[in-house]
Amino acid sequence: MERKLPVLLDGAMGTMLQRSGMKPGTIPETLNITAPEMVAEVQRAYIRAGSRAIYANTFGANGLKLKDTGYTVKEIVSAGVRIAKECAAETGAMAGLDVGPLGVMVEPLGSLPFEEAVRLYREVMKAGADAGADLIAIETMSDLTETRAAVIAAKETTDLPVLVTMSFDSTGRTFTGCTPASMARTLEGLGADAVGVNCSLGPKEMIPIIREIRANTTLPVIAKPNAGLPDPVTGKYGVNAEEFAAAMQELAAAGAEIRGGCCGTDPTFIETLAKTVFPAAERPPVGGAVCSGPVCVRTDGIRVIGERINPTGKKRLQQALLEDDTDYLVEMAIRQADAGADLLDVNVGYPGVDEVTMLPKAVKAIQAAVDLPLQLDTTNPEALEAALRVYSGKAAVNSVNGKEESLRTVLPLVKKYGAAVVGLTLDENGIPDTAEKRFAIAEKILNRALAAGIPREDVWIDCLTLTVSAQQEQARETLKAVRMVTEKLGLRTVLGVSNISFGLPSRMTVTTAFLASALEAGLTMPIVNPNTKEIMDLIAARRVLTGEDRECRAYVERFAEESPENRPADGKTAPAEMTLGEAIRRGLRNEAGKLTVRALQTRKEMELVEQELIPALEQTGEKYEQGKVFLPQLLSAAQAAQAAFEEIRGSLLKKGEKGADRGTLIMATVQGDIHDIGKNIVITVLENYGYRVRDLGRDVPPETIVKETQEKGIRLVGLSALMTTTLPAMAETVRRLKMLDNPPQVMVGGAVVTEDYARSIGADYYAKDVRDAVKITSRVFNG
Amino acid sequence: MNGSIRVPVDEALRYMRAAGAEGEIRRMAEETAETLESRVTPRWTWRTCRIERGREGIALPEAGLTLPGTLAEKMLAECDAAALLAVTLGAGFDRLEKEWETRDMARAAVMDACGSAWTEAACDAAEEEIRQRFQGKYLTDRFSPGYGDLPLSLQADFLRALDAGKRLGVTANQSFLLLPCKSVTAIIGLADIPQGAKIRGCACCGLRENCEYRKRGKTCGT
Repeated sequence: MERKLPVLLDGAMGTMLQRSGMKPGTIPETLNITAPEMVAEVQRAYIRAGSRAIYANTFGANGLKLKDTGYTVKEIVSAGVRIAKECAAETGAMAGLDVGPLGVMVEPLGSLPFEEAVRLYREVMKAGADAGADLIAIETMSDLTETRAAVIAAKETTDLPVLVTMSFDSTGRTFTGCTPASMARTLEGLGADAVGVNCSLGPKEMIPIIREIRANTTLPVIAKPNAGLPDPVTGKYGVNAEEFAAAMQELAAAGAEIRGGCCGTDPTFIETLAKTVFPAAERPPVGGAVCSGPVCVRTDGIRVIGERINPTGKKRLQQALLEDDTDYLVEMAIRQADAGADLLDVNVGYPGVDEVTMLPKAVKAIQAAVDLPLQLDTTNPEALEAALRVYSGKAAVNSVNGKEESLRTVLPLVKKYGAAVVGLTLDENGIPDTAEKRFAIAEKILNRALAAGIPREDVWIDCLTLTVSAQQEQARETLKAVRMVTEKLGLRTVLGVSNISFGLPSRMTVTTAFLASALEAGLTMPIVNPNTKEIMDLIAARRVLTGEDRECRAYVERFAEESPENRPADGKTAPAEMTLGEAIRRGLRNEAGKLTVRALQTRKEMELVEQELIPALEQTGEKYEQGKVFLPQLLSAAQAAQAAFEEIRGSLLKKGEKGADRGTLIMATVQGDIHDIGKNIVITVLENYGYRVRDLGRDVPPETIVKETQEKGIRLVGLSALMTTTLPAMAETVRRLKMLDNPPQVMVGGAVVTEDYARSIGADYYAKDVRDAVKITSRVFNG
Repeated sequence: MNGSIRVPVDEALRYMRAAGAEGEIRRMAEETAETLESRVTPRWTWRTCRIERGREGIALPEAGLTLPGTLAEKMLAECDAAALLAVTLGAGFDRLEKEWETRDMARAAVMDACGSAWTEAACDAAEEEIRQRFQGKYLTDRFSPGYGDLPLSLQADFLRALDAGKRLGVTANQSFLLLPCKSVTAIIGLADIPQGAKIRGCACCGLRENCEYRKRGKTCGT
């Protein structure tokens, strides 16, 4: 559905209002009510210059930025849109609702919840649509998550055309690290009508960015550059109208079909653009891809999907999910990313885990630290939608299948959130035993997806691996089906590979043989454990044979790194004979883990904790107090102890015993405070003393802390605050905790907290540093 | 603006209370500095504005800002103009630090110190840019909302005056904390006569109560 979009937009509003005498420090949108004529004058000037769409003076008109103005969003937005409409009426141009960033950061970069951002944007969109805006222009965005919130809000509130532009800097990314490709893929998926760039750069600097966007979207591309950069002393911009128009011709050749100006441009710029003849750009085929903000993965080669984040058969992960411990998931994600995965499958389905809250939570936690695109793996449509909403980028969905119920519930979600989808070749009758029947289901899924508006390249087919020891003839059928889907439908294929060898000895032999055959049959997206060397070696070799690895570079590099004297992962080497205590003191993680495994053959778990781990940590702690070792070394020791603890925990879990539980405490950075590395450092060390820590995160409201304390019967709460402005929140949290019937002990710390202050707000303990926190915790739990 | 300023490793060590340390800890700091320099770009923006003196304090009418309190008055006593400045390592730093908190908390702690030292170094570079632009003028010490009696609540107005949201992607939250975490705003007075150092030393420092250097009878050196 092609909609009629304007080709020539307007120029700067802020620059013009300043020239018209707007007082510095004024919230520009309030002029819609206090000085409507000043705004109208600017808009009429753009209309006269030839703009076919003007943006209303509503850029910052949202609930947060207008909070202290005394006006509502509805008042400011409808006044702004009304002015624009009246001015546009002269020539029949369009009047756009202009929507900018909220001015605070959305999770996970900041602490504004995603749905709160959507709510704030909905308010703006509704006011704009009610006032009769002809289109919505979301612009100057930097964070892809926030941009998604705005587009989702627009789509859920109105059916107006949505133009979206983000700001990129000289590194070719937005301030939050989003690439032009990721932006284009994500926003086209969400249903934007045009995408592009505005602000931050002059037109010349924008050329490579526009080119990259064009290569990643079928939509019209927008360029609304600044007139260069302002001089810090005079405030004047460096590019004049003629230079601007000349550079815009180059931008047009790079693919910008919709043009206008941002900061520093004025009606003369638009007038010059209106007289300029622009070349048309070519439209190369776009192809398929999925992405996160920082990484766009095209599906035109072999792409490894990491399978590890799936609790089936993984005790440690099951436990982490039951305990709400997303750190462990993030760790697994990082390990797979380091091993060379291109995408990560995320499955948190396990009895006792509420997928609807856990899947989005896991997605946010992983995306805060890992760049790879994710494949959301769930059979629960509600959990799928919750995760798709918050996923920053274009996700893959695992999966839909040939069952009517599945097609009906999953495909609309895939379409709405612009994801790619894995189609499993099974239906109401189960998994067919012939390749032909599986192909028929693949075809049906494809047709239904196309009918739902999902592009062909976003449909991936999984022809399903069955266990060869149980159904031997099925391996050939799977391979045949992969070949048919590849050749006849031209679709990407996915296969969970390792299932093939279940129940056989030397599983890896069978798994790699099957993987090689499947890749030959056309498999492009194997779901595997990327931490398995044999598998990744095979894939590296395959990429050489298909020519994907040009000049065998990646292959050569992979094996150049590999040498017998390869250093251990933590980059440190240990002498041959070393005690566990020594390994911990020296911060040797690998060694500490190995020595624990060895020690567990002869010694009891808790004996190791009491006699080796704790004393080693204590000695390091004392040296830290004496200034003989420094914080990072103390932490290295703690992490080496953690490696030992992991082994001990695993050993206990195998015997069905609970972990080494020396007591559970809550840690949180108080409301309003976002600096939490200090708190996280304390947690790392406490955990390695065997304490369980429920980490409530940063910017945590008092009520959340009180509720958790009450529900879990917590006896010790640790609070941190970094700034003087957040100390009141700390005081309030302590006050509320102390009002409980059975109040917990409270320890507080942080850069500006003092002993006296701690006492004055009723905290039981002041922890001046991480060592102190350990001593206090041990006093509380061990008397 | 942005620049290829190096991470000052010695400063970072000082922030870790490991001033002058050699060996493993220095090696960690150097490696971390290298990682940061390849992945993160410090950015800054600044502008100048005229100073007027009113009843409520120092006014910067072009920026729509009023600076209440004695610190601003003292610092800008001999100035007819001031430069406003915002510096950030960007959201990329926060992300990287989060990643390392999961990978290796020891390295994350080093990274945090490197980030703080680097932000200061970027402030120095921006200040140098201002100095170059105003040859013949004398610059006061750099100071920021939150110093002395200059309220932290000015952060939002500082960011607005600098258009720091658009230019740098810097925001302030409801407690006036800047995000991305390694971000700083500052003001530097411009005068026609030499300006003595006024802001150095423990008396001006918000951390003096808890400072480990002070407890040991030392200073951190600034």
